[in-house]
This record gives sequence, structure tokens and C-alpha cells, in this order.
Amino acid sequence: MTGRNRLSAPAGKLIDRDQPLTFKFEGQLIDGYAGDTIASALAANDVWVLSRSFKYRRPRGALTMAGQDANTLVQLPGRPNVPADLEPISDGLDASGQNYEGSLTRDRGVWIGWLHRFLPVGFYYKAFYKPRGAWKFWAPFIRAKAGLGRVSEDAPHGYYDKEYRFADVAVVGGGPAGLSAALTAADAGADVILIDENPQLGGALNYARFDAAGAVAGQECERLVNAVLSHNNIDVMSSTVANGWFADNFLSLIRGNRMFKLRAKEVVLATGAMEQPAVFRNNDLPRVMMGSAAQRFIHLYGVCPGTRAIVLAANDDAYGVALDLADAGIDIVVIADLRERPDAGPLSAAVQEKGWRIETGCTVSEALAGEGSRSVQGAVLSRIDGKGIAGGGETLTCDLICMSVGYAPVGQLPCHDGGQLRLDPVSSTFVLENLPDHGHAAGSVSGTHSLDAVVAEGARAGWRAARASGFDVGDEPEVPDARGAEGCNHNWPIFPHVNGKDFVDFDEDLQVQDILNACADGYDDIELVKRYSTVGMGPSQGRHSALNTVRLVTDATGRSLDEAKPTTVRPPYTAETFGVLAGRVFEPVRYTPMHHRHLEAGAQMMVAGPWMRPAYYGAPDVRDQAIRDEVAAVRIGVGVLDVSTLGGIEIRGPDAAEFLNRMYTFAYARQPVGRSRYLMMCDETGAIVDDGVTCRFHERHFYVTTTSSGASNVYREMLWWNAQWRLATDISDVTNAYAAVSLAGPQTRKVLDQLTEDIDLSLEAFPYMDVRTGHVAGIPARLLRIGFVGELGFEIHVPSSQGEALWDALMSAGEQFDIRPFGLEAQRVLRLEKGHVIIGQDTDGLTFPAEANMTWAISRKKPFFVGGRANQVHESRPLLRKLVGFAIDDPKAPVPEECHLTLQGNDIVGRVTSAARSEALGRIIGLAYVAPSQAETGATFPIKIGTNRFLEATVVPVPFYDPDNMRQEM
Amino acid sequence: MTSVTLNPADFTRRSPVYRELRDAGARFVESFGGAIAEDFMESAEAEAKSAAGLALADLSLLPHFGFKGRETVDWLRSQGVDVGDQDNVAYRQEDGVLAAKLAPREVLLIADIVGRSDLCARLADSASIEEEVEAFPVPRGDGYFWFLVLGESAPAMFAKICGVDLRSSSFGELEIAQTSVARMNVVIVRCDLGETPAYHVLGDVASASYLWACLLDAMEEFDGRLIGHGAIRHLAGL
Amino acid sequence: MKIIHCPLNGPRNISEFVYGGEVVDMPDPASASDAEWADHVFLENNTRGVVREWWLHVATAYWFIAERDTANEEIVRTYPSSDIFKERVTFAAPDEEQGTS
Repeated sequence: MTGRNRLSAPAGKLIDRDQPLTFKFEGQLIDGYAGDTIASALAANDVWVLSRSFKYRRPRGALTMAGQDANTLVQLPGRPNVPADLEPISDGLDASGQNYEGSLTRDRGVWIGWLHRFLPVGFYYKAFYKPRGAWKFWAPFIRAKAGLGRVSEDAPHGYYDKEYRFADVAVVGGGPAGLSAALTAADAGADVILIDENPQLGGALNYARFDAAGAVAGQECERLVNAVLSHNNIDVMSSTVANGWFADNFLSLIRGNRMFKLRAKEVVLATGAMEQPAVFRNNDLPRVMMGSAAQRFIHLYGVCPGTRAIVLAANDDAYGVALDLADAGIDIVVIADLRERPDAGPLSAAVQEKGWRIETGCTVSEALAGEGSRSVQGAVLSRIDGKGIAGGGETLTCDLICMSVGYAPVGQLPCHDGGQLRLDPVSSTFVLENLPDHGHAAGSVSGTHSLDAVVAEGARAGWRAARASGFDVGDEPEVPDARGAEGCNHNWPIFPHVNGKDFVDFDEDLQVQDILNACADGYDDIELVKRYSTVGMGPSQGRHSALNTVRLVTDATGRSLDEAKPTTVRPPYTAETFGVLAGRVFEPVRYTPMHHRHLEAGAQMMVAGPWMRPAYYGAPDVRDQAIRDEVAAVRIGVGVLDVSTLGGIEIRGPDAAEFLNRMYTFAYARQPVGRSRYLMMCDETGAIVDDGVTCRFHERHFYVTTTSSGASNVYREMLWWNAQWRLATDISDVTNAYAAVSLAGPQTRKVLDQLTEDIDLSLEAFPYMDVRTGHVAGIPARLLRIGFVGELGFEIHVPSSQGEALWDALMSAGEQFDIRPFGLEAQRVLRLEKGHVIIGQDTDGLTFPAEANMTWAISRKKPFFVGGRANQVHESRPLLRKLVGFAIDDPKAPVPEECHLTLQGNDIVGRVTSAARSEALGRIIGLAYVAPSQAETGATFPIKIGTNRFLEATVVPVPFYDPDNMRQEM
Repeated sequence: MTSVTLNPADFTRRSPVYRELRDAGARFVESFGGAIAEDFMESAEAEAKSAAGLALADLSLLPHFGFKGRETVDWLRSQGVDVGDQDNVAYRQEDGVLAAKLAPREVLLIADIVGRSDLCARLADSASIEEEVEAFPVPRGDGYFWFLVLGESAPAMFAKICGVDLRSSSFGELEIAQTSVARMNVVIVRCDLGETPAYHVLGDVASASYLWACLLDAMEEFDGRLIGHGAIRHLAGL
Repeated sequence: MKIIHCPLNGPRNISEFVYGGEVVDMPDPASASDAEWADHVFLENNTRGVVREWWLHVATAYWFIAERDTANEEIVRTYPSSDIFKERVTFAAPDEEQGTS
């Protein structure tokens, strides 16, 4: 047997005694069994201190054994803040405690606990707000002391992903209520998913005692769990935590490295209740724990939590704890019952027969620490003498104190979607209100504690959920009137001590006086108390502290109990890792059909909207030369640019021209078939949002191109407007159906001539701005005689499946003319030399056509176009800025960058939008916004390129290059 | 079975994922003006057998073609195509072609699994702009890749990358889901091959490589694999 | 995550949709004053209560109308835009030269 505290079977239903494991804790080898958690295996070996507390560095051990406190957070390699009471052990696991210097048992930082008198709540706010800069000085020291585990910066990336799930009925919680609900719903025919955070189903049936003999829980557990596991309609998700409940029953579930996004028609909440601590001095010592934690040690892990126990009782379940402890061979020193006259329950009746010492109207007023505070060693038993006042005292020896003084529902989940917890003065616990639509609660989460009522309530919730999701079978199950809802919670299990250390929030090391001080400092609302004192802000998010905090704040502020509520509950229910939130990275990337040809040619690819596009071809260290060579190839020989990314939209039908007239600024009704025309689109405020070219292939057919990044928005806008106009036209996005290249340069025609048979490329037959359909290299193609770069050029649009073949054919036909692929960088220079604006670069979200000298593209004779009315308004007012071409002739001047400011006197009047050194022109050229009074040709304006660094730029006419456009019309 | 294979780059029509297929060891044969993956050096029967679990195939070079416009449905009916009124349903033609009704004014025709039917080509030719009919061809054959996901584990695999419930109980034969898969827009048409659940997935050809990689990643947990056209014909009993 | 019932595609996660603004009547561009036009272009009504809104189902590029209660986010109903935009809209031609053909 491993571990001297190990009990023999049947205790320890989760551990497999045939599978011994060895792991390390604080460098020591520890034995355990498969099924053990870190905490249970350590306890079996009499190790009770797991970590030290956040603020005072106090040794801490298991409090709940259910992951509801920060006491058990340990460090694994690369994983901080792992709850030791949930984390299973495995061979080779290497765990250590947190929040200490030196060793866990002898922390060099423990002195901070002696300072607690000088570290009142709000200490940091009060101490460091002045002088100015004080916080900046102290913060590194404080931060080094604060915080929890250590994040490893070189932890390997795990594989995380997500999965959708769907169910008619989702049942959260696999205890008696949840099992019963799942069975009833599944029997009715519903598709059920049952979720439980534990590896085993059964909930409290696995460890709690419901009858004197201690037999019922096991029998019920076996009956319900077997029925659930063998049911075809139930999908059991164990070891899965439901972490959020969002609109329309959307639940986030986490199991291991996967997040499940569950959509359920109905949700049954059967999450149970959490036992709540009593507050007394040193209630945080190791082996002061919840009664249910002791039961978990015994029944789940076969670990005996002590030898001499004091049970602090306020309900019948406490007597069940005493019976379980005695069965495990533990002496019951005393049962201290907070109640003056306890109700006679079945379990207390059984205890009465044992003859153990029972003191009513009594409490533990102080736990006494053993050596190094590594365990409790005794307690002071006191008579309760008024609300929360305990006087006198008898010192007793013990090594275990079990607290069973009340519960709080695990009602966080529905609060994510509108639910609300409220303190009920009668039962002195939180009750759950305003469940989300299509949500049902059953069992102890709704305050029902007697087992038969819990099972019946589960059945009723399952039946209701099944019926609401369309499965109507039989009559609604009945629920007995006696739900065991009363008498579970004591209304004031709080006994402040003059010397403090009476912890309300174990995570944050907050004592009674801290909460009272916060109220006294004027923070009289529970939400403000939380922010000021940090109560409930630790890893367990108030799960063991909210109830006592609400009691204290309500009492201290003299508020009515009827309005007492805990602080707002937000998702997630428990800590989740960023990996789980991120999952796989789904970021669609768009590649043109020629993408691999670019890579093979040595292209440096850049992200352009959703696309990957070639920036230039060549190694990064020869970037500038590569761009210059590409520019030269287009100006002297022939270059080819992949423009498959341009949007392509077919506008077809009787109203096609009318539709374009409304969407774009120019006039299209009389555009001849076989011709192309410039397109400029404005939004309703008159700002330029996109541009392109339209080709008329038929009276009723236009092929429209858009900018690469604007394609999907233009398409959406078109559909939106025509949903209102109802014109007889069809709008089809064919962007992805066409691959396209721009072939440009004086040698273009010679290359293309080799590949075309059915199109006459001569200037006479195919003039500038004409469009044709035919074949290029045998591939059906649309040819557009247009050019953005100012040379003889054709755009060739072909079916995308043949785009790579077109590229191959062009490269091969162009070889003898030294054809060169060029990238976006060269294109930017080339088009700048022509003074062409790029929408979104040389315009911004406010630029209207008059500012960008684009009024030539506006038809004044149309009754309406989008942005037309707004532009009338714009044009009726004085211009505030104007886009101009500028040049800088100083050969030593640096090229200004985009967004460098332009000035008039000391005023900022605009910015540079594009600039480059033009080899063809031998000067720096660019576009910039300047004040209208600076916009005359020959005027000069300063560009601010740094602190006290300016360049003088001269306004020059555009195009900079080939001003008469002779070259593109060759 | 022969091990002779063709080079897809010797043809002008190329699948957007021909490199992925080639790198995975596909044996290509000529079909539909390009090279399609016939098998992955296994017999059609063996590949078909493995598709019972989960498999992926590329059908991008097979005919698929769209029509849009307000007279689309009437015109297709006049051409002998059986199209019902309900949207997001695929109507199976006698020759195996599926007429997928994507919207009141939009139909996507996808070839029978072996592409024997000439319906797509015939309709594409007759839908000329010269005819004053508002049923306009849309070249989805180039705009949309066409993948086929097969096997019992397909719904579970899709659940990792798609928010629509594609289990048989919720997504029946010939139903269509136009939705987001791995954050890209796709059309999913369910049309089983014999006993094997089969999901046609069509979407933006520019992101074909992206989605192909996402699918393979999601399939790994189910031991999904690539299969060729031979296996698909086998499953279809052709 | 909320569900929106798309008139074309049925119930879908709201992440499949894009909001397109409130459904508003455009003033007559020929007669509206500058101020009225600016109001139309720049100001939102921001009504509390049920409003008619444009929503787009992204995968199908399908615009439809949703009536949504801005006070509680409940989507009251959804329907095709053709339910309220039934007629072809025309704009008065200012002169004969460029009138619609």
C-alpha cells in the first residue's frame, strides 16, 4: 500500500490499486495510484501543505477537494496554477508549490504575514498614489511578490482545437439530478448530452452520505449511472467543464485541449451546490477543510484525512461527515453544532446513538497551528454568545477540522445569460432567479437537498426539457413537497477574532476586518467592495467567499437582506487557457492560380487584403535593385503583373447600364459595346470608395473590375442597393473565376502576337480602351486594352483553372524579349509616374472627387448616383485640401514617406500619400494633400520628415511621365 | 492498375490543388481537359473501402456551372432541368446531374460523379446573352473548387470547422448548407454514394489550398485519407 | 452566440451575418435640402424598441430584413427585403440626354 494514510477498499472508488504511479512534488518522489489527484496522493503520504497563500504566504492545503479554491494551485513545468485537487497524477509528473522563496515549508517571504496590520485593504491605493511616480518605483517589487505561478516562456505550443456539438437537451452536471434528468429526457426520445467536470458520473452520490447506514448513495449511483451509460440517446461528456452559457443556449465546454461549442434546444442545470466555509481564526490551516472535502478524501481516494477530528456542524449532513470519519477510523473529538437546538435529522439521530460528544450553540473560535503551520493541531471550542460572538473557550487537541455549515448553489453558469443569484433570508443561501429561456434547474442548485426530491426534480426537469424540444411523452413527473431546502445553511457562521486571520476569501487572503474596512472606507455596495478589497477576484471567483461576503456587507451597511446579491457573474466559470480560446487558426488565405510560379521566380510575397501577392522578384538584400529592374523592364521591354486579385463582377440584364449609372459616378448608358470606361464609386457621404473599369461586351452585359481589396464590399453594396431599387439586372461576383495578367511595355504586342489568332492586336483594329474576347494561347480570354502603368498594355482575363497555363505561355513567348514579371512595388512606382491614384492609399475615408481632381469622372447629367447629392454639397463649399503632384529635385534629399505631414506656415494642411524616386524622371515624385492655395503648379510647400527636418517640394503637373499619354496609345 | 502517371502541368486546365495531390502521391489520368487523380497507387476497391471511415477527393476539374437571374428557374425548366421551388435543396436529374437551388434566382449544376452528362456544357452554350432571357451563366467551374468528403466520420470532422449540424439526423440527402467552413464561405451538398455518406464542398477557388489543408488537419483524428476518382466510381457502382 | 433565422438559409449563428444598418427612407435627392441630406447620411435614429434592420448572410451574400428590439436584442422576425421593396425605383431624369434608355 502506498502512503501511510491510505484506507483499504472499498474506500477510494476512483483509484486503481493495481496501478501504482510515482511522481515528484517539491523534488521528492511520491507514490500514488492511477486515479489519484496530486492532492490526494500527497495526503496519502501525509503531505498536507500544497502551496502558500497569495498575500501572507501562509501554508495552505486542500479546502474543498473540488477545485473551488486557490489553496491547491501548484506549478507544473510550463503550466502554472494547476489545481492539485483536480489534476490527476501520472508517472514522471513534476509538481511544486507556489508563492514561496526558499522552500515550501520554510518560506523566506513569510515575514510579510507579520505585516498584515500594515497591509490593510486598499493599502496599495492609499500608499502609492503619491508622490507622483511612487507606484512606478514600487510596482516591480510588489509585482515580484504578488501573482500566482510562473508562466514558462518556452513552453511548447500545444495542439488546441474546437468542435461544435448539438443536442435537444444538454444536462450540465452528472449528479443524481442530472443523471435523472438525462434519463427522463432520453427516454422521451430527446438527443441528450450530459456534461460533468469530473471523470466519474454520480456527483455527490460518490462521496456524500444520505442515510445512517451509508448504503443509499452507492445504490442510487449504480442504478442511475448504469442506466445513463447504456442509453443510446445519451452522449456522456465527462472530464468536461461547462464554462459559459451564452445567448440561445450556446454553451462553451472544455475538455483537455478542445473547446466544444454546444448548441442545445433546452438546457438542464444540475450543477449542484458547493459547501461553504465557516469563518474563524486560522480557518485556513491545512486540514481545516469542508466536511465534503474529507468525504471526498475518504470515498474517492481512500485517504484518511486525520486521526482526531472536530466537526463544525450546522446541518444534518455534518453528522453524515462524522459517521464517515468514524468509519474511516477517525476519533470524533467533538461535534460543535452552531445551532442552539438542532433539528433532528436521520443522520444526527444515528450519531446520537454513538455517544460522541456533541456541543450545541458552540463553535470553533480558533484553530491552533502545529509546527510551521503545516497542519492544524488543536482548536478552541467556544460558546456562541450572540451573533458571531464566541466567548470563553476550551482548548482541544485535533488534527482535522471539518466544516459543514451550509451550501451555495453552483449557479454561475445561467448568470452568464441573464440569470441572477439573490440571498434568500429564509434559507440563508443564494437562490437562482431569471433562468435563461429554455433553461431548467434541478437538484441542489435550486436548493433541493433530500435525495428522493433531487432525483424527482431531475426527472421533472428532464421531462420538461424533452417536451419543450418536441418530445412529449407521459405525464409530468411529480416532485415531493419535502425538498430538504431548509435547515442546510446557518445564517451567520462568522466568528471574527481580535487577532484576525479569520479568512473570508482564501484566494485573496482577505479577513473579516478587510471586508468591514472596505465598507467603512465608504464602499458600501458589494460591487465596490469587490473592486476595493479584491474579494472574489481570485482564481475561484468567489465560489467559497461570495456568500459570507454578502452576509458581512449586508450587515455592515445595514441593508435589507431582500436586496442582497453577490457581484455580477461573468464567464468563464473556471480558468481557461489562451490555447483553448484560440483553437486552430482559421484565416483564409487567397492565392492566385499563378502563386507557385511567383514563388518559383523568387518573388517576395506580401499580404494584400485577403491575397498573397508578389512585392518584387529577388532576394530581400537586392530589393531596391530588383524593383528598379522591374520598372525598367516595363518602360523599355515588356513586363507582366499578376492582377488576378482584381474584383470581377458581371452586370447583366435590361437595366445593366442604368444600374451602373446609379452605382458609379460616370455615365454608362451610351458606352459603346466593345469599349471600356473608367469607374469611380462613392459612398453616400460622397467619399471615393473604389474604382475600376467596366467593359461592355453587350448592350445588356458589363464586366466590371474593382480594386483587389474592395471586391467583396463593392459586391455587397451593389446587392444592397438593388434590393431596394429592384432593377432588372443580375449581379454576379466572378472574381475567383478569372485569372488576369497585365502585360505592359513597348514589346507587349510582339509577345501577344505569337499567342493570339482570333484577335487583331494592331492599333487600328484594337485601339486604346477597347475590349475584345478571343483566345490567348488557346485559352478563352477577355482582352482589355488599358494600362495603369502608362505603357502599351493589355489586361488578359482567362478562366482561373487556366491561369497558370496562360502565365506559362506568356513567359515562354516573352523569353526572347526578356519578359520580366513585376511586383506591386514596381507597379506603385510605374503608376505614380503616371499620376494615377490608388484608392485607399491616395484617398482616405473622407476624400471626395473634387479634392482628388477626379471631378472629370462625374457625370452631371444623371438624375441620381450614390454619393452624387453629397458631392453637390461638397462642391458648393470651399475646398479645404487638394491632392497635388510634387517633385523634389535635390539629389541628396531622402524620399518622403507616406503620411509625412505637409505644412502651411505652422499649420498641418495634409500629408504625403505616395512618393518614390523615379529613375525615368531623375527626381523624387509624389502625391500629397496641400492647402488649395498651395496647389498651383510651381508653388512650394514644406514636408515635415522628422523633428525639425523639412523638405521643400514643388507642385508639378501630373502625369509626371509621358504627360501626353503617347506611350500607352502606341 | 498501372503506375504510369501524367504531369498535371502539361495541361492548360489545372486543379487548384494539383500540387497537393501530386505531393500526396496521386496517379493522374487525363480527363475533362486536365489531369485528375485516379488513385493513390492503390486499387479503387481498397481506396473505396477506406472511404467508409473518412476520405477526401478533389473533383475540381469535373463540370460544375451556375446560372443566375430572375428567369433562371423557368428557363432551366424549359430546358428540361427538373428544379423544384424549395431553396437549399439539390434536385437530382435523370443523368445524375444535381441542380442545386442556392437561391430563388440561382442554381448551381454539378455533374454526375463521373461527369458523363453533357448537360452543363449544353446549357452553358445555349444560355447566350443574345437570348433575351434573364438566366445568366456563372462560371463556377473556374470560380469554385469542388471537393468531396466521404465517410461515416464526415459529420464529426465537419463539426470541428463548421457551425452547421451536418449529422444525418439533421442534414439529409440532397440538402444544401451554404455556410462558413474554417471561416470561408462554401456550399455543402449532401449526396451519398451508395451507402457512404458524401458531402460535396464547393467554394472560392483562390482559397482551395487553404481549405484543403484545414480539411486534412481536421481529418487526422479520424484517420481520414485521400482517394482518387477510381474509388469514387467504385463507390457509386459505376 | 445568438441565432438569426435567415429567410433563405434558416437558423444560423450570428457570426454568419453582417449588420447593414437601419432600414430608412432616402429623401428625394432632387428636393431635399443640404441639411436634410446630411441628416440622412450622417445621423442614426438609434431608436429604443423594435427597429427594422438590414442583415446580410455572408456565405450567400443575401440581404434581408430583421425586426429587432434594441432594448433586449430580441430578433422579433426576419423576412426577405422584397416584402417591403416591391417596386422598381426610378429617379426623375433632369434632362433628356442621359435619361435611362
